[in-house]
Order: sequence, then C-alpha cells, then structure tokens
Amino acid sequence: MNRSGLAVWLWAGMVGLLLAHNLYIWLGARLATDSDILALLPVENRDPVLEKAFAHMVESAQQRLVVLVGAADWDTAVRAADRYLEALAPGKNLLTSDEEISPKREQDWLGLFHKHRLVLMTADDETALRDRDKQYWVDVALTKLYSPGFSIKAGAWQDDPFGLFGAWLQERARETPVRPRDGRLFVAEGARVYVVLPLMVRVPTFSMVAQAALVPLLENARQAARRADSQVEVTVAGIVLYAGAAAAQAKWELSTIGIGSLLGVVALIWLTFHSLKPIALITLSVGVGCLGALSVCSLLFERIHLLTLVFGASLIGGAQDYGTYFLCHRLGADDQLDSHQLLRRLLPSLTLALITTVAGYLALALTPFPGLRQMALFSALGLIFAWLTVIFWFPALASSRDSEGGGPLVRWCAVSLQYWPRIEAYRLTLTKVAVLGLLAALAAFGFARLHAQDDVRLLQNPPKRLIDEQIQLSRVLDAPAPAQFFVARGETAETVLRREETLKQRLDKLVEAKLISGYQAVSNWVPSLRTQEVRRAVVDERLLNGAGALPVLSRRIGSDDIWIAATRERLSKSGEKLTPEEFLSTSAGASVRHLWLGPVSGGYATVVALRGVSAQSLPRLREAGSGLEGIEWVDRVGAISEILARYRTYMSWVVLFSYVAVYALLYRRYRGATWRVVAPTALASIAAMALLGLNGQGVQLFHVLALMLLLGVGIDYGIFLQEEPSRRDPIAWLAVVLSALGTILSFGLLGLSRTPALRSFGLTMLIGTMTVWFLAPCFAGAKQRGET
Amino acid sequence: MNARWAGAAALAVLALLGAAPAEKIQSMLARPQVLCGRFDQQKQLVGLKKPVVSNGRFCVVADKGVLWRTLQPFPNTLKITRDEIIQLNGERVAVRMDARQEPAVRMINSVLFALLAGDLDPLEKIFEIDGAVQEKSWSVKLKPRDGGFGKVISSIFLTGGVYVRSIVISETSGDRTEIEFSAIQTGDGAIRPDEAALF
Repeated sequence: MNRSGLAVWLWAGMVGLLLAHNLYIWLGARLATDSDILALLPVENRDPVLEKAFAHMVESAQQRLVVLVGAADWDTAVRAADRYLEALAPGKNLLTSDEEISPKREQDWLGLFHKHRLVLMTADDETALRDRDKQYWVDVALTKLYSPGFSIKAGAWQDDPFGLFGAWLQERARETPVRPRDGRLFVAEGARVYVVLPLMVRVPTFSMVAQAALVPLLENARQAARRADSQVEVTVAGIVLYAGAAAAQAKWELSTIGIGSLLGVVALIWLTFHSLKPIALITLSVGVGCLGALSVCSLLFERIHLLTLVFGASLIGGAQDYGTYFLCHRLGADDQLDSHQLLRRLLPSLTLALITTVAGYLALALTPFPGLRQMALFSALGLIFAWLTVIFWFPALASSRDSEGGGPLVRWCAVSLQYWPRIEAYRLTLTKVAVLGLLAALAAFGFARLHAQDDVRLLQNPPKRLIDEQIQLSRVLDAPAPAQFFVARGETAETVLRREETLKQRLDKLVEAKLISGYQAVSNWVPSLRTQEVRRAVVDERLLNGAGALPVLSRRIGSDDIWIAATRERLSKSGEKLTPEEFLSTSAGASVRHLWLGPVSGGYATVVALRGVSAQSLPRLREAGSGLEGIEWVDRVGAISEILARYRTYMSWVVLFSYVAVYALLYRRYRGATWRVVAPTALASIAAMALLGLNGQGVQLFHVLALMLLLGVGIDYGIFLQEEPSRRDPIAWLAVVLSALGTILSFGLLGLSRTPALRSFGLTMLIGTMTVWFLAPCFAGAKQRGET
Repeated sequence: MNARWAGAAALAVLALLGAAPAEKIQSMLARPQVLCGRFDQQKQLVGLKKPVVSNGRFCVVADKGVLWRTLQPFPNTLKITRDEIIQLNGERVAVRMDARQEPAVRMINSVLFALLAGDLDPLEKIFEIDGAVQEKSWSVKLKPRDGGFGKVISSIFLTGGVYVRSIVISETSGDRTEIEFSAIQTGDGAIRPDEAALF
C-alpha cells in the first residue's frame, strides 16, 4: 500500500471513530448542552469569595419561580391563585410550593427574640436614646400605655414599654412589602392586590426536557387563573423561563442556519458542477468537519453551549471552501493531471487558506469569554477536520470525469470577470475621483456617527414579555438586585458585622435621598456584639438605671420601687447577646440565610443586598463602598460591560496590527502590488463600520471580532485573484465566488439570530464578505504585479 | 350568675327557634349616620397593680371612619378610615399606616368598624361568635378562629342594646382592656366642627 493509500485508510479509521463517538453521544442523549447565559460570561474575576457571593445569590434564585396572581380585590385574587395551584398539581414532580417562604413559618419566629429584644432597636431609636432627655422616653411609654386598646402591638406592654423592639420589628417588616394574609402571602401595588406564590423547580433549571414540560404547565395554570376572573393578571418570573426561551430560540436558529446553509451549499455546488458526486463529496467534508468539531468539543468541555452550536452551524458555509477549491481546480485542470499531483500543487494555497481562517477564529479565543472560546474552537476544529478530509480523501475520490464542463455558475464566472471594473492607480478620471470622494465622505460621515455599545444585553435577548413580567415582579415585590450588591469580609463574623454596620451608615443616606429603597443585611437582624454592648449600655443608662426614664415613668403611673426593680430585672433578662450562628439556625434566619456566605478562605463574608437600585444610584453606590475596609462593591452587569468595552478597544488594536503584519508578510511576495491584495478587505471593513454608523448603531466587541475573521477570510480572495491576475482563467475567480457565496449564506443566516452578539457578528461578516467579493477583482491587477 | 343564666336561656330559646343570634342582635342595633360619645378606657396590664385609666371622645361616621380622641390624661388622636390609620399629634401626622399595603391594618380597621357598629357579619370570618340576647340588651363573645388575630387576642367581649355599650379585649399576653361608651349622641349635631374637619 502506498503512502496516500495508507492515509485514506487511516483517515477512514478516524472518521469511523468520530461516527461511533457521535452515535454514542446522540443515541445515548449524552450531549450536555447549556443555555445558561452566565456560562458565556468571562471568568476574569478570580476572587473566590466574590465568585461564591455571586453563585450564592444566583443559586438562591436559580431553582425558584415566583408567581403573582393579581386582581382588584383580595377574594378574587385568592380564588384565581387557588385555580392556578390546582392546575399545577399534576406537575408536582416538576414544580411545588416553596415551603421555605410559606406564611405558616412566620408563626413561631417571634419566640427567638424573647431573650434578645433589649438589644434590638432601630438606628433612629439608638440615636434618640443618646440625644433625647428622659422625659421624651417617659412620654413615649405613656403614649403607648394610654393608646386605644385595639392598637397593634407585639406582646405585653411591660415587655417593651418604650416600644424599641416594636419599632425594630416594624423596620424589619418594611424590608419587604409582602405580608401574610389569611394564610397566604399578600402584596399590594396601586389599585391591585396580589397573592404571591413562591414555587420551587424540582428539576434542573437548565435541563431542556424540564423546560419543555414546565412552560406548557405554567401556561395552562395561567389560563386556569384567568378563567376564575377575566380581570386576573398573572405575572411569572424565574430563571427557568429565560433558560427555556433561550433554548427554544437557539434550537430554532440552529436548524434554520444549519438547514439553510446546507441547502444553499448544495444548490451552489449543483450550479457549479452540474453533477451529484461533488455534492456528495462536499457534504462529506462538511459532515466530517461537524462530527469532528462536536466530538472533540464534547470531550474538551463539560457542556456545549447552545449558542456554540448556533454559531457552529455557520461553519457549513465555511467548511465547504476547501472541497470546492479542490474541485474547481480539478475542473480547470488538465485531464492528464493526476488528482494526487493536483493536490500537491494546491497544498500550499489550501494550507495558507486554512491557517489564515483558523487564525481568524482563534483570535476570538484571545478574549476571556468562555462562550466565545468554545465557539472559536468549535469552528476551528470543524475547518481542520473538513480540510483533512479534503487532503486525505479527495485525491482518491475525485476524478476529472466528475463534472464535465461545469454548470451555469462556471460560465457566469468566466463572463462576469471580463466586465468587472478594475482600478488602475494611474488612470484616474475626474468621475472616478468624484465617486471615490463621495464614498470617502460617506464613510467619514458614518464613522463620525459611530458610538460604543457595551451593554451586557448583547449576550442575551429574552422575549420582551419575559422581561416585562420580571420588571413588574421586581417592582411589586421590591426585590433586591441580584447582580449588584456589596460583599463584606473579615477575619471573624464579628468583624464582618461591624463592617456591614459602617457601610449601612453610608447607605442610610442614599435611602434618605431616595436613591435606593433599602437594603438587606445580616446585621439588620443580628447587630455586631459591639453594637449590642453599646446599645445595652445606653439602654441601662438612659432608661433602666436610677437616673433613667424608668423611675420617672413609675411615678407617673403610680407604681412603686418593687415594680421598678421587677421591670428592670425582666428587661435585663431579655438583653442576652444574639450571635449570627444562633439566628441563622432558626426559622427567622431563613430570610437572610442567602446573604450569609459563612466561613470562607481567610475568614467570614456576607452579602449586603440592595433594593430599588437604578442606573442613577449605581455610581453613588460604588462611591459609598469605596474607602471602607473589607467592603467590596460588586456590579456584575457593570463589570461585564467594562470587559466588553475593554476588549472592544483591545481587539480593535489587534485588528489594526494584524493588517500591518499581514501587509508585511505579503510584501515579500507581492511587493508594490501588496496593496491590491489587502485593500479589498480593508475597504470592506471600513464599509461595514461606516454602514453601522450610518444606521445609527453602536459598535460592540462582536463587530470588531467579525472584522478579525473577515481579515482571515477576505485576504484569501485577494491572494487567489492576485495569483491569477490575467483574467484569462476563471478558476480562481470561481473559487472566490463559491467561497464568498458560502460565507455570505452562512453568516447572512447567522445575522437572523435574535442574540444581538451573533446577529452583529453575522451581519458584519455578511456586509464585509459581499464587499470583499465585489472589490477583490477590481483591485487584482497584472500591471503592478511583483516578481514571482 | 344572672347573666350566665340569661345567656343559657337565650341560647336555649335560639336553639329552639333556630335563628342565629347575630341576626337578632343586628335587628336591635340602630345604625345612625353619625354616632359620637364618651369612652372610658381601663387597661389591666400584666405587672402593673393599678389599672391604667383614660377617657376621651369617639365618633363613628358611616362610610368615612372612626375618630378616637384620648383626652385624659394624655391627649392623642387616632383617625381610622377604611384605607389607613393615622395618629395625630395636634394637627401633625405622627404615624400613618396604609391599609392597602398592610393587611393587618385593614383587618384591624374592619374589625373595629364592625365592633363599634355592632356589625357581626364581617366578624364571623375571623371569630367564632357566641352570642346571648335578652329583651333589650345583648352580649357577644368573640374568639379568634386562627391566623394573625389569634396570636395577639384571646377574646373580645361585647355588650350593647341599641348601641354598643362596652368592649373588653383580652390579649394573649395577659393584658386586658375595658372600654365603656356613654353619653351617646347621634345625628349631624353630634360631631363637633373641629372633629368633622379631621375627615
């Protein structure tokens, strides 16, 4: 067996392995896919505590689903909520009520505070204890004492005569607008009242099977609730809905792009070769490319993101290049030329084409976005496997008899090239200068209008209905922001609580200024031991001691020293110190357990969550956290936007330097004509950006990344045409046309994606490739060609 | 002794007649548009030997709300409407609680309206009602069924004739409040101009 025969069999063995592995993956449903948008985000922030804080916040929300059933009156809302839960009952293996936030738990939790109530008070009351005289506190106690018998109070008067604990309890209640009512959770907003139904998803949120079952179940329940009363409004929010929508969208796009590209490529090959065998060959190379990419990626990565597959579907248009390039030359070559000899002749240009394109993709992997890396690797692998298939198999499989004379596309190429305009630097007429000047002005105008756009929303685009419901729900529940919060750290739990307290003093000013509506913190419930001691001391001094308010109060109500002593003793007993461990182990602690990160490397950490965060409050919040020891401001959304912006700038420079490097590289071969090779791609990039500006869109990282890939793809066209500048032989032009059409098709379809990042990428590639395709023959010239 | 016997007798009669005491009581009560009068409140608090005594004026205006003005020994005004509870220090609002946001406030308001008006229907949802009716007077004992009220209140005892005469509230903490109503006036003249201005 000769060397090439051996290669054919070796590659057959490899493809056999890939096929077996793919069957193993697909038949066993072992492909772990991911639709979690967070999986796409950068892992730059390596601080394990901050990561843990974020994971903690996300995990506490990930399996949750919150439903609001709203109506004009409570009874209707309750009736509709009952219908809703009834409709969910058949799916109790998927979804159940979240017992942890059930109103029934609220019953016993006041008991915990009996031993500790003396040290639990609002910051305002603590200040008032220092600043106000004892007469003020006597009046407070008397007002409470003589209040109408039907006013609300927690416990007997003697347990909290000065109302400190009662005020603290009310302040805690104000941390959420949700209230127990008739054994349910109630919240009101505007003219509507809502039943709050906290639900727990019992299956993994990112399992597509679970999503597929959950969505109709919830929709059914929504209809059931609406049947109770036509005015009923149901609002649902949960990560599982976003994940479900993202997965459904990705699946649809995957099949559209995949099938669309495949049909397009098949049509192109038919038009070129007018024969079935090339179609089979090209499909084979593309197929092996896809199998290889999938196999290797599934081995390298734990899970493959759905967006990787969507992006990967655009591979079909790119991976066909090498096969068509080979077959085109087979078409144009002498019948006497053996396919193996042909390959030897084409190998340098095929290799160069593979390297430039793979380099273009790998440039995407320079970013810290794991999703982007996966997409880049997937595409690069697909190209390499398709390329190897061409190298190993095509010489053996393809023969000169496969397509005689070629199809209509070949004839069109031959004719079109004759009439294609050509730019000659030394023959510039006034009209040409005017047209060029106009285009330059248009481009300049477009560039002037460009602005940056680095919003994290580039990465996902959930249906508007979901966003609207999420916003509505957050507003009604006044829920804390999941992606913006403070992290407090310290060696001991006590240090952490003290640091929280320092931060809270600054946050109180923002609450006063109505920049945020409030905050949740462990220290709201468990003050630091130091604060507890300080409060204890001030209560003793201002209220309980001989010179305090208690003896005066006793005189006013006509009591005696025995009463004073008894009251002092009782209150003192309720002044035991409360520790976070004790508090968190009780049912009352459930409400803040997600804020407690517990022992972490190097000490303890907690999250201070914020309510009512808006774009205006973000800079003030960041400021509030600065300069405080052990306090860090975490703005996940802002951080991602910052990274997107930084890499947009960074990649722009990489693109510019790549042009310089490519120019230098090509100069050795083309000398004075190098500009003719590079100009089409450079101008296409400028055109794509200018169009973006004219369209009023913002530039984002993904446009710049597309320019990088365009450089890899577009330069090839310049090279191919510059190699055959005489225009006598249409084969090089045919290869360019086929490659360009394939690319345009795939990325054009990617441009239909609803994910803004992929859409930008696809559209930039679409406009860029079209322009390169149009410009490349204009610049390819014989006159200034350098030595060969 | 007498009252207990009367209650037992009334219950027996009611059992025979098959009529709910609530309906009977409802028919005895007058429902004036405006009802004002004096109240005397006596609180028996755990740990305090002497009862805490206060008095003042109250007004119930149908469809508007209740004004509760403690005059002695510690002036304090409470305005309770269907939508909110406001505590006034003079003209200034000291505390405001929104019934739309706070179901507890709403519940207290509805119970209070019902108590002062002797309207037992809305109370039945929240309390077990045990009533006794005599010729010209009646008494009712309310025991919270469950939920929020049960945590705070162990029972409420009402007596009255044409109007509610007294309310006794026993709390689970052991604190107990007795309120007696007297000098009741009805009609537009009953409410003083400064009181009417508060609505």
